Amino acid sequence: MNYKFGAVASALAVAATMYANPALAEVCDTPTALGDLGKFDGETITIMGSMEGNDEEMLTNAVSCFEKATGAVVKYSGSRDFAALIVADLRSNNAPNIAIFPQPGLAADMAKEGHLTPLGQASADWMTENYGAGSSWAALGTYANADGKEDFYGFAYKMDLKSLVWYSPEQFEDNGYEIPDTMEGLLALSDQMVEDGNTPWCIGVESGNATGWTATDWMEDLMLRTTTPENYDRWVSNDLPFNSPEVVNAMEVYGQFSRNDDYVAGGASSVATTFFGDAPKGLFSSPASCMMHRQASFIPSFFPKKGEEVANGEADFFYFPPYESADLGNPVLGAGTLWTMTKDSPATRAFFEYLKEASAHEVWMGQGSFLTAHKGANLDAYATPALRKQGEILSNATTFRFDASDLMPGAIGAGAFWSEMTAFANGQDTKKTADNIQSAWDAIK
Amino acid sequence: MTRTLKHVVLLLIVFIWVLPFVALVTTSLRSETASKTSGFWTAFTPTELGHRFGTHDKGETQPFVTMSGNIFERLNKDRDSFIIEGDVESILFKGRLPDPDNPGKTKLLRQLIYAGETMDVRDGKFVFQTNGDFTWTFPEASAPKPKNLVTFINQDPVFGTDAYVEVLFENKNVTNALISSFIVTIPATIIPITIAAFAAYAFAWMRFPGRDWLFVLVVSLMVVPTQLAFLPVLQGFSGIASWATSLNAWMTDCEATKTCQVASKSFASLWVTHTAFGLPLAIYLLRNYIVGLPKELLESARIDGASHLQIFTKLIIPLSVPALASFGIFQFLWVWNDLIVALYIGSADSADLVFPIRLQKQLGTFKDQLHLLNASAVISIIVPVIVFLAMQRYFIRGLLAGSVKGG
Repeated sequence: MNYKFGAVASALAVAATMYANPALAEVCDTPTALGDLGKFDGETITIMGSMEGNDEEMLTNAVSCFEKATGAVVKYSGSRDFAALIVADLRSNNAPNIAIFPQPGLAADMAKEGHLTPLGQASADWMTENYGAGSSWAALGTYANADGKEDFYGFAYKMDLKSLVWYSPEQFEDNGYEIPDTMEGLLALSDQMVEDGNTPWCIGVESGNATGWTATDWMEDLMLRTTTPENYDRWVSNDLPFNSPEVVNAMEVYGQFSRNDDYVAGGASSVATTFFGDAPKGLFSSPASCMMHRQASFIPSFFPKKGEEVANGEADFFYFPPYESADLGNPVLGAGTLWTMTKDSPATRAFFEYLKEASAHEVWMGQGSFLTAHKGANLDAYATPALRKQGEILSNATTFRFDASDLMPGAIGAGAFWSEMTAFANGQDTKKTADNIQSAWDAIK
Repeated sequence: MTRTLKHVVLLLIVFIWVLPFVALVTTSLRSETASKTSGFWTAFTPTELGHRFGTHDKGETQPFVTMSGNIFERLNKDRDSFIIEGDVESILFKGRLPDPDNPGKTKLLRQLIYAGETMDVRDGKFVFQTNGDFTWTFPEASAPKPKNLVTFINQDPVFGTDAYVEVLFENKNVTNALISSFIVTIPATIIPITIAAFAAYAFAWMRFPGRDWLFVLVVSLMVVPTQLAFLPVLQGFSGIASWATSLNAWMTDCEATKTCQVASKSFASLWVTHTAFGLPLAIYLLRNYIVGLPKELLESARIDGASHLQIFTKLIIPLSVPALASFGIFQFLWVWNDLIVALYIGSADSADLVFPIRLQKQLGTFKDQLHLLNASAVISIIVPVIVFLAMQRYFIRGLLAGSVKGG
């Protein structure tokens, strides 16, 4: 019975591919040619991840070039419940070939349980060699297995830049605002906006069972701007406790933005209940409900016209500036999705070889909402000047740090940190928030 | 008096229950902007809505002294449906002027400009009328940059089926998911009813040792939550699948085409899971009904020499139609609306996804596009409503019959 339905399904899939074909030919036509990956006719690779919608479409396009080159069949299934589903699948022996972890914390947990297959030291060395800030990326994908032995598991592909402030140039022009290049200037501009009767910020941290992550991004960006990168690293490893003065200070600065009724569209109480993807829409509503939105490079997919605004000049971004007085250089916060091998097969290994190809990066660069640290990738492949500009922010950074919540253990970085920051948005005291996160961390030590 | 009161209360209850559905249907028929910026109850009367209208396109650089046009024409330029009609109320004007109170500083002026009033746009004089006609006059021929103005329009009600067209025809996934849902739901309803009918007969009319204890065991299984069993059930399926894969490799020449792999998550695994978790309630419901059938009827059948199978097929089944139908509705609705079992146990192939998963995916993709989500939700409601209406007379009878002993 099952076979019959399988046949119907694959017939549908074939039909779908045929529809998409003309566009695909162009997508795979990258500036750098694809190397030889071998032939794997009919072999199936299954991938599980959390990307849905636009991202899923672009991912499907990117892997289709691998399918075309090798004859293998790649099946991707994305779900917003990835974090829960992948754990059930790995523990019940139903592993896909590849799992794409949005957070290294969970990947490290799975490596510890012995569900991930190492990609080998050669891949780690390749990454150190060929990625900008390569050793940090290699370290991001290195975890301990059940025996405590460290190995390279997570291949970073598709990166996000977080330290961006989005705005509508038209609104800035109408209101006569200038783009600030210091944090002092940004705060002065925000006050100016309030004085003019505008609302400076749109902030939303609601995100289903990941509610709170937007707030942790704010915190991390502000940590990098209020204290040294060394302290940031100590914070990530909890050598610097959550309730230490440095961290509490950063949280208070975040509170200056998010808990100020004059600063936030809809008032401070709306922060916890506003879907993070709806928050930027305030920039484009008529009349605009806010002037600025701090969010990572992926956010244009959530704009009303799905990011077309960036191309036609209705939206732009500037670098979330550092304090002039603090003298900490130009820190930049970023993140990346980690592709791990959860079930070994020759075709899967070839797929990881494919991810090393510059062409595999260029395919997605050309579609948008994709940044890469691959030094071999041709920058001309970026779909828009905006993406290129983000690439430049990445390279002008004097300090580059990964998303701290992604590096912390799952119970903190995808747990207490999120939920306590949501409680903070709901009015919980700064000190209590910091203490709660620290005691959650103490509990898992 | 009491009768009127009863009717009022009934009407109120019906109103409360129907209201969300009316809201859903109304919103699904409205335009994206309208559904996002105002409540569904405003859909039936003219409503003031903000629109952003651009004076001209970027490419038009021909110098002019006076530009005249129509706001509605500009707004409707790229629209095939949800045509904006009504009266232009006002335009929001923003600009910086020297602040009289703080010398050297400027002050943001924001003001609503009404029809017939003159406003200064890029140093030209901009005047509009209620019907949307506008003129933009400059002292001398010039080619200003286009200007987008926030325009408040008292808009006539407008409805369209665009969302349904997009969901059903442009986005093929939804029709595909409907088919998958039927493939899952129909066997997952029929299989447990069939098994349960046999079991219920045995529990009600056949004598065998430990019958009552076994029945208590079956009933107590009703309290086991599905979620608790996911991991062991998945492990079981993966064991069966790997066994089936090796059997497949041994019996067929699948190795040549690399099709040996039998999926552990499939429609079949969903049928088995839904059957297993639906059985306790089904057996309980049917047994209570069947035990209440007149004893004399069965005894006379047995005296006439009918076997158990004959009694079951010729007597029990025709007499139990109400109970069978009522459980059928239960099981159908439960499986049709199920998300979590399908998510964990069902195939993750995008071609095999059932409707609730598709809906959830749209939440991820279109959380901003309420009207699309609403359209899909309305479609997902239609099927259970049809099933319910078709079988409701059995449903009520069956519920009563199952609970009250005696015929």
